[in-house]
Amino acid sequence: MTAVTLAAPGAALRYAPPIEAELDHLAATLGAVPALAERYPLRWLAVQLLEGDEQLLAEAESLGGPAVTAALAASRERLAPHYGEDLDVALVDQRYRFVHALAGQALTRPAAPPLTLSDRIDQVVTHRWLGIPIFLALMWVVFKITTDVTAPFVDWIDATLSGPVSGWVAALLSAAGLGGSWVEALLVDGVIAGVGGVLVFVPVLLALYFALALLEDSGYMARAAFVMDRLMHALGLHGKSFLPMIVGFGCSVPAIYATRTLDSRRDRILTGLLVPFMSCSARLPVYVLIAAIFFPAHAGLVIFALYLTGIAVAIVIGMLLRRTLFRKQPPAPFVLELPPYRLPTLRGVWRQMWERTAAFVRKATTIILATSIVVWLLLAVPVRGEGRFADTPVEQSAFAAVAGAAAPIFAPLGFGAWETSGALLTGFVAKEVVVSTLGQTYAVAAAEEEAVTPTTFGEDLLGIAGGLVSATGEALRALPGVVGITLEAPEEETAPEGLAAAVQAGFEASSGGHGALAALAFLVFVLLYTPCMTAVAAARHEFGSRWMWVSIVGQFVVAWLVALLVFQGGRLLGG
Amino acid sequence: MLHQVLEALETATGPVSLDELSRQLKIEPGALEGMIAFWVRKGRLRSGVGGACGGACAHCGPQAGTCVFNAGGPRTIALVERTRSYPDR
Repeated sequence: MTAVTLAAPGAALRYAPPIEAELDHLAATLGAVPALAERYPLRWLAVQLLEGDEQLLAEAESLGGPAVTAALAASRERLAPHYGEDLDVALVDQRYRFVHALAGQALTRPAAPPLTLSDRIDQVVTHRWLGIPIFLALMWVVFKITTDVTAPFVDWIDATLSGPVSGWVAALLSAAGLGGSWVEALLVDGVIAGVGGVLVFVPVLLALYFALALLEDSGYMARAAFVMDRLMHALGLHGKSFLPMIVGFGCSVPAIYATRTLDSRRDRILTGLLVPFMSCSARLPVYVLIAAIFFPAHAGLVIFALYLTGIAVAIVIGMLLRRTLFRKQPPAPFVLELPPYRLPTLRGVWRQMWERTAAFVRKATTIILATSIVVWLLLAVPVRGEGRFADTPVEQSAFAAVAGAAAPIFAPLGFGAWETSGALLTGFVAKEVVVSTLGQTYAVAAAEEEAVTPTTFGEDLLGIAGGLVSATGEALRALPGVVGITLEAPEEETAPEGLAAAVQAGFEASSGGHGALAALAFLVFVLLYTPCMTAVAAARHEFGSRWMWVSIVGQFVVAWLVALLVFQGGRLLGG
Repeated sequence: MLHQVLEALETATGPVSLDELSRQLKIEPGALEGMIAFWVRKGRLRSGVGGACGGACAHCGPQAGTCVFNAGGPRTIALVERTRSYPDR
């Protein structure tokens, strides 16, 4: 690159001699046009024209006529041997060099520039070795909050919906002469057990979205992406892949669309195939339900391990695909702007929690409600035995017949019962539906066992209010547990009741007495198979039908194999 | 100086932060921003927002609100794949 002459202290910018010569020629030509000479500094105008400013060129040509056009073309031609097509680059570069040199002479800089608070925090959180452990520790805190702290509220909503609310609906229907009818069964066993079974997890999602909003608004999420990108890059994957993957912690659908930020189609497809392995928030209710039944003392750890498994599987599959279907392209490095840390505002955090939770509730009242009704109808239609509509043993229903046909596929994984395979089939619509279907299929058996004590409306209201106060107290006492401080003696484990007992018995029966292992394999399967119909539609929209099918089949195969490894491997190890 | 920015990206062995690049090249962050903006205008670099859920997510129905980085993810700057020589280096 040609050196720039710096004429301090006047500090006039002089370009390289060939450019200066052409600037003089052009300025002379432009100076012959009074309209231009009066309006613009001629040297500045000459520089702009050489840089290719189209607006000024049009003006200069209209005012100066062919003489300006010819002079500019001649100057460009003479400069072409020196700069090729990069004349504008040379001009801009020489200006930057001039300013840089001038600033270097005029300013006294400290040997080491002072570090801002953000810089100091970044030295720790984006540290080559500390960055990933810090990311994992923060994830651990998030899952402790979402499981331990919210558990009392989940129990409270569950008790309210399955107790007083179901009782009020039954009482109202009895008053309307519909007591014991199929309408009551539809509302109680279909809508309340299905949609209500999902809505009980609103506190869990509120807590998750609260934690994500804090991490996002504080600026940490960008650091998490940076730290994980470094790992991905080291493993030969495209670094930018982890940005869509972080989005995938919220929802797979926007994460698939976020692959648009990747430059090449191959990278977009590869990342689109990996994104669904990241555990989206819709899967969390399934984890919380199953982990609370089978691993009540270690639910947070199990959920944390599931999230890590999702990341690990995505990385392993990504590396495999890089070495097979997607080889040839080396991963491209990139620059990431890390915004300064900010203190999250209450308003901002609340807005995010509200928007995301409202989206979850909307889904519960649309997709999940519709699926619950379809499942209830299929459960109400007898295909065997002598039952009638809405009065048939669930084992003889159309749903049991359909789900039972798919059950052998899952038998080697330890959960080959029709209830679980049915939940996985409907879970293709949306992951929350797994919970609602389990609630519907197992609720009947559970309800038959539960003896209901009649209560008045006032007693119900008092019970609900008392339950809320009690849940709040329990949640506050659980808070220190997030950082490992236990304020009270651990409660003795009690035998599960109702739905939990029915689910536990179901897994025990289908796994030959290895219920916990089967439950773990079931959770791994839920983590890894197709997230939902909308994600499938998004994959088809972005990558085409062929890749959509590759994604569906690939995820199913991976989910089946990893779940098999968990169940059969666990049995071999004596689990 | 302008080419140093491209070279730094071409030879990087992993993602770099904007501040790190500024320190590495000994270029003021403000000047570096200007240089990046120049190369983006020239089509040699691509600048985008990481999450990018906004517009695309109009189709994703109730899930749209669950998008992390909804308000805008970190900005990324990457090389546009292209081979060319630098005649004036």
